[in-house]
Amino acid sequence: MDFKLTEEQELIRENMREFTRKYVDPVAVEIDENSRYPEEVIKKLAEGDWMGMPYPQEYGGAGVEYLTYAIVVEELSRSCAATGFTLSCHTSLASGPIYNYGSEDQKKKYLVPLAKGQKIGAFGVTEPGAGTDVGAATTTAVLDGDTYVLNGTKTFTSNGPVADTFVIFAFTDKSLGPKGLSAFIISKDNPGLKVGQHFYKMGIRASQTSEMILKDCRVPKEDLLGKEGQGMQIAMATFDHGRIGIAAQAVGIAQAAMDESISYAKQRIQFGKPISKNQAIQWMIADMATDISAARFLTYHAAYLKDQGKPFSKEAAMAKVFAAEMANKHASKAVQIHGGNGYCKGFKVERLMRDAKITEIYEGTSEAQRMVIAGNVLR
Amino acid sequence: MPGILCCFKWVVDEAYIRAGTGKELDLDWVDYKISDYDRNAIEEAVRLQEKHGGNVSAITVGKPDDTKGLKDALSRGPEKAYFINDSSFDNLEPSQTAAILAEVIGGSSIDYDLIICGEGSSDLYARQVGPRLAAKLGIPCAAFVQKIEMEQDKIIVERKIEDGVEVLELPLPALVTVLPDINSPRIPGLKDTLSASKKPVIDIGLDELSGSFDPCLRTISISKANMERNGVKLSSEPQDISSLVDALIKQGVIGGVK
Repeated sequence: MDFKLTEEQELIRENMREFTRKYVDPVAVEIDENSRYPEEVIKKLAEGDWMGMPYPQEYGGAGVEYLTYAIVVEELSRSCAATGFTLSCHTSLASGPIYNYGSEDQKKKYLVPLAKGQKIGAFGVTEPGAGTDVGAATTTAVLDGDTYVLNGTKTFTSNGPVADTFVIFAFTDKSLGPKGLSAFIISKDNPGLKVGQHFYKMGIRASQTSEMILKDCRVPKEDLLGKEGQGMQIAMATFDHGRIGIAAQAVGIAQAAMDESISYAKQRIQFGKPISKNQAIQWMIADMATDISAARFLTYHAAYLKDQGKPFSKEAAMAKVFAAEMANKHASKAVQIHGGNGYCKGFKVERLMRDAKITEIYEGTSEAQRMVIAGNVLR
Repeated sequence: MPGILCCFKWVVDEAYIRAGTGKELDLDWVDYKISDYDRNAIEEAVRLQEKHGGNVSAITVGKPDDTKGLKDALSRGPEKAYFINDSSFDNLEPSQTAAILAEVIGGSSIDYDLIICGEGSSDLYARQVGPRLAAKLGIPCAAFVQKIEMEQDKIIVERKIEDGVEVLELPLPALVTVLPDINSPRIPGLKDTLSASKKPVIDIGLDELSGSFDPCLRTISISKANMERNGVKLSSEPQDISSLVDALIKQGVIGGVK
């Protein structure tokens, strides 16, 4: 058993850390405050080949292992969880299904510009009445000659307002239940696709989220992703991959919470000494360090299994639920260590506590992760 | 088409040095990095190549397991690296490093017009390797350079000196040591790091060197500096400033008025 990262992985982590110090840290507060999409940062990420990390070079990616991708998402999220998620949503949720289920033509047409970061991707599965219950979706796709006609409304579409390429799910045959769901690739310039309401969120505010409205949206047959009826399988497999990214994002948030806590506790003087000398603070930080290590190993293990071509669905769910819950616990503890300061704008832990919450919700709630884990271990 | 050699040192990243329980430093968990100033040297070499063509090679002296440093350097643009290594090449003094580099560069078929070093290393900061190397190679040297203009067979450099800026013209081949002001080193992208492993590294062992590289100095100890905090808060009000001055005099930090 080897716990050592390769020299390349260590260098990639260090380079991403340097990238965040130079380009992300300086804007992280402002983009959170204004819910602003950091287009200039995303362009810089594209220039550095960070937008298509796990996909082969022939499709515009860098061809690195998923483990390396998880390390980068963690490091980017340590600086700004919203930017980390913009990248992971684009990479895992939008580009992932095209790479895994797309035809050669679809990969050349859609994946290459996504992996190069020339275009931004989004993934539309959630609907007002279909969250965890994906099968409750009502969006329909009716074949009319050589085109499918899609009608319905998707909600909470991450990257929706800024994306160029969407992977969107609709029922081609509702009577078949989950087996009637299909996936489609749709470009933003399709006149039948419109950005609806923007959502202004509690956390990851710089990540752009909106409704996507499909009204008589005509999609050519060649843009059906996979086969008719394969949508549920594509959605679930995509979430398996995406969960590794969210687990990594949660580890990055928690690491940042610990970094801030250590720095603050060493400087904050109360009763004539730094509060880091108090056992109460030491124990909180000890628990943070322990849980972050545990979550990081779970996350890296899930990525490792994927890289080995082994089943990783259960491990990805374990990593996601554990990392998300520990990030919430410790972001809250970090605010506690900062006291009143931590509750105010201007201290990073305030943003971290807001950002952490979403990791328990999207790409499968903590409850959904437990369903996946239980389904695997109770077989 | 100039041939540019950039020298770099793989050093302890000071951010990871911790205080030991006694006076010693805890180096058990340190990580390493390319010396900060040497990043500027590599960057300047690559920028000159981008402008004038030619080739850039990196060269370093270190231990055989310092391979991560080679990948790091190569990910920043040089096409190949010379890796002069031996397990005894640990904590070398500037005189030793310069002598080893001089033997390899001067006595081999390495073709160069310009050698670029950082102004000093970010661990010892002795600022000696560049000038010593130039002296041993018998080539002109300009230290503390903040700008390089390259022409056919010469360079024009700006040196930052105490009272201003000195402009010098040096015939090639020459050596310069560069200041951090000269450029802002690029951050290697993902593909830069991945392609670094595929670039050629010329391995040169101690058995290929004929000189003796004895140290001139003996390190007796390296110990931590203590920084005590008193936790006293003072404002900019006159009475607080007086209190601060009194406290500093009392502690012997500054001398009293006689």
